[in-house]
Amino acid sequence: MRKFVIIWFLIPLFSLTACINEEEFPDTAQGNFEALWKIIDEHYCFFDYKQHEYGLDWNAIYNIYKVRAREETNKYQLFEVLTDMLSELRDGHVNLYSAFDNGRYWSWHEDYPSNFSDTLQRRYLDTDYRIASGMRYQILDDNIGYTYYGSFSNPISDSGLNEILSYFAFCNGLIIDIRGNGGGDLINAEKLAARFCNEKTLVGYLQHKTGKGHNDFSEMEAQYVEPSSNFRWQKNVVVLSNRGVFSAANDFVKYMKCFPRVKIVGDQTGGGSGLPYTNTLPNGWTVRFSACPSYDKDRQQVEFGILPDYVVSQTDDDFRQGKDTLIEFARKLLAE
Amino acid sequence: MKNKFLLLLLSLVPLCVVAQEPTSTNIIGVGTSRILDTYINQEKYSGIGLTYLYIKDRAREEKRWNSVIEHELDVSSIKDRSKDNQLMEGNYYLYWGRYRHWQLFGDRLLVQAGGLANLNLGFLYDTTASNNPAQARLSLNLMPAAIATYRFPLFGKQFALRYELNVPLVGVMFSPNYGQSYYEIFNRGNYDHNIVPTTFVSAPTFRQMLSLDWRTSEKWSLRIGYLGNYQQAEVNNLKQHVYAHRVMIGIVRHFPNSVRP
Repeated sequence: MRKFVIIWFLIPLFSLTACINEEEFPDTAQGNFEALWKIIDEHYCFFDYKQHEYGLDWNAIYNIYKVRAREETNKYQLFEVLTDMLSELRDGHVNLYSAFDNGRYWSWHEDYPSNFSDTLQRRYLDTDYRIASGMRYQILDDNIGYTYYGSFSNPISDSGLNEILSYFAFCNGLIIDIRGNGGGDLINAEKLAARFCNEKTLVGYLQHKTGKGHNDFSEMEAQYVEPSSNFRWQKNVVVLSNRGVFSAANDFVKYMKCFPRVKIVGDQTGGGSGLPYTNTLPNGWTVRFSACPSYDKDRQQVEFGILPDYVVSQTDDDFRQGKDTLIEFARKLLAE
Repeated sequence: MKNKFLLLLLSLVPLCVVAQEPTSTNIIGVGTSRILDTYINQEKYSGIGLTYLYIKDRAREEKRWNSVIEHELDVSSIKDRSKDNQLMEGNYYLYWGRYRHWQLFGDRLLVQAGGLANLNLGFLYDTTASNNPAQARLSLNLMPAAIATYRFPLFGKQFALRYELNVPLVGVMFSPNYGQSYYEIFNRGNYDHNIVPTTFVSAPTFRQMLSLDWRTSEKWSLRIGYLGNYQQAEVNNLKQHVYAHRVMIGIVRHFPNSVRP
């Protein structure tokens, strides 16, 4: 009985002195630099992959940028230094947000042709196109269905998708144009992809970090798309992509590549396969970064994009003639 | 020596014997909240919080053991040190305790000792984050607990000084893994050490309340006091704490001769 009383009352009393706390950096140029470097060091998920790809060394980057974050640095200079440091990660999901600017790395699409023109697109959509679930859709002259989905942030409803696919029911094929789609909600990507598969399909793998080390990861968990119980499309589909296809849109292409009746046409996607998290610095600036990596069905990285089945670029000749080279190619492919 | 001093101190106060009786208490409080959750952020947040606390004490003189049920609801709006980023916090705690009681010093001092089960449900929401902005709280703890109530008259009125302490022992809690997203847990059903056993070492959570009751009538007392609720845990390489300090005020209803409240 006495032992029980000791265990029950006295031992837990020692915990009254216990304090769970976290190191806090000062709100100075050096303190904010240290805080940012540490957040990325402990949470970013592509160090190993990017070291293999282009020699990223986060410890070496600390030494390079530490000398630039001097105490006499003003907030604009500090923002530039920190943004430059983050740009070494070459990741569109990595941003630094302040009240006066958004630090970004956009080379993944700015360094490439857009292969998309809304002026040309207007010639195909005309003015009498329909809009549902954030998609603009129209039946083209050759009886091909065309739908444009500009952001996976636009909510998709089951009834909306039923209406769109019913409208295209007698078409010979379907073009899903997601050029310039910078992502949004992964659930929308899954919901749309579920309309194009007839059986549970392995589309990739997911992982997350389990600790602060650069290689502390969980096991890869299989990612499946299950067929929708609603209207499902049974004819051929072409997905149009360009370098502006990023994040959840990149995942959508990853899913669609696994289905037999789907072809990807256009340029390589922009990538962005890490699920982003946010954190804040002592001065209140917010940093966004990739935290959970995803892979394709062959366990390969898609962080730097997915190659299309057919690489097609917009030509100047077609542009002058008011033709969208990618849409024209897709129409021919679907007509075959 | 200490006991003698305590006896001397207590004997200075005029004798006031009040039979142990069931009570129900409704009190509200306001104070500061300080929160850290490294799953959401490295920075500490602080701000103003509100608390509602309901205590039902089924103490009866004729029974050695009694039960005490407490419902505590905390809400806070807190900011980081830059004041640019805001979190919203909400927690509900259910405490169900069983106590053995002793009446000491001529029944002036009532000591209750035992244990309680504590269920916590809560959330933390980062209003500035667009991805993975929330953290859920769910835990069940077994906590040794004690309550001491000292009743005394002053200026012809009856008062009671009450102190309650709950300390941690063992429990289980929900936690995402270090970098695991809620999308993985709830949309994909990928679990990874999400139900974690805890002890007083990994979750040194404790709670204390000091209050003074002024018996204004046979049935009612006015209560003022301090409530400190210190939730802490370090699991899955994640650290979290919620330090809530509240000044409380409310009323106590007594059920003398009683009918069960």
